[in-house]
Amino acid sequence: MSASVFVKRCQVGRHEQRLGQNFARSLATHAPQKPRLAVAVVLNRAPIIAKTPTKFERAFYKYQARIQRALHNPFPYDFYFKPGSILEQQFNKEERIRERKAFGKDFVTEESSSSIEVERTDEDEVPAPRRTSADETKDVKDLNRQGSRNLYLLVRDSTNGKDEWRFPKGNVESGELLHEAARKQLTVQCGDNMNTWIVGRRPIGFFEEQSGISTDPLLTEKTFFLKGHIFAGQAQTQDSISDFAWLTKQEIESRVPKDYWLGTKDMLSDL
Amino acid sequence: MRPPQSITAVLRTPSSSKSTSRIFTRNAGRKVVASDPQNEILRRSLYPSNIRNKETPTGTWRPDVMKALRRAIPSKQAHETIERAWLLHERHMRWKRNEEAERKFESMRRAMAELEKVDPILFKEANRVEDPRKRTPAEVELSKSLRGAPKKAMESRLPGLFPREMRLPTDTPPREGWVYNWRP
Repeated sequence: MSASVFVKRCQVGRHEQRLGQNFARSLATHAPQKPRLAVAVVLNRAPIIAKTPTKFERAFYKYQARIQRALHNPFPYDFYFKPGSILEQQFNKEERIRERKAFGKDFVTEESSSSIEVERTDEDEVPAPRRTSADETKDVKDLNRQGSRNLYLLVRDSTNGKDEWRFPKGNVESGELLHEAARKQLTVQCGDNMNTWIVGRRPIGFFEEQSGISTDPLLTEKTFFLKGHIFAGQAQTQDSISDFAWLTKQEIESRVPKDYWLGTKDMLSDL
Repeated sequence: MRPPQSITAVLRTPSSSKSTSRIFTRNAGRKVVASDPQNEILRRSLYPSNIRNKETPTGTWRPDVMKALRRAIPSKQAHETIERAWLLHERHMRWKRNEEAERKFESMRRAMAELEKVDPILFKEANRVEDPRKRTPAEVELSKSLRGAPKKAMESRLPGLFPREMRLPTDTPPREGWVYNWRP
């Protein structure tokens, strides 16, 4: 700050100091101004289902299961199944199927002439499918889409004639801390119908851009990003945002301006 | 789980060792009149014998273990190749994960450096570590004035701790899917 340096170099005398300060004040319009602070929230929907194993992983797990089946310690059958019970017969039948699957159809342990067919009457056995209807329709507003990936909230900003996708952002009031500002701005921008949590107090990234308000090249706006998680609910379009989408990292790249992407991609998870 | 180098290799514990594992097998060899077979069954499954007088290091193998193992493993060289391929795969996964963590950390470090330059007070506040057990006087006042749902919300989110709603990924999604109609 050249003005303050100038003031310091002045003589100690009060008159000179006052002169110096007046001079500094008159220089104020040319001194670099404090950049505006903004805070944005990278709202993440964590993966709901585990990663799909690759073909190699699946084959390896099957291989290891075969080895374990060959080598494992004796299973206490008579502890778990009462001898001669129907449950034991059912278990033996299923075990034979599993053995054949592991070692081949011609691998015969013992002949069994049990012909009693027991019907399984389990009501809620069928689990929900991993690929949901949202995956089929590719609905980007649906939070059930892409269960194994991290989804991030992107918001379409249509103010002042510009139309771009970015993370929900707002200004920091003076005296307000970053994480408090983030929480407030998230409810202001996206509605309070979401169960969210801002992770800690520290920002995870920052992005500097020209302030949209003035054309002064020195006046930049620094946006600090804070990470948040959503656990339930949904974002709502308000007057500040016209549209929103929950996107994976690769999908964000295609929607967001190039320099914004380069500045924010390191904060996001690949998986 | 790796099969031994040679199936006939024997792992014998020295018979004169008075290890603590002896204590757990004190009941194993007990011959008792089978008054109640259930008790016998229970004792056998809870206290398996670890007397090593068989070829197997872990316990009684299935009687056709050689046949089964020959089916499971194509050959010694094939097994070693599979092991190495798996370890390589794990290594690659580890590198990928570490790279991503490094990128994220670098982004955070740059952001904190920038914050320190821009606003030292905010920087100091961001670095403050909060004790989840403590309550500031302002919070105590606020909690006295709130009732019901807002109070619960305030009490549930302790600073510095993970919220309860964080869920581990499972193999299949929940039956009802995402909860949309959530009220604060």
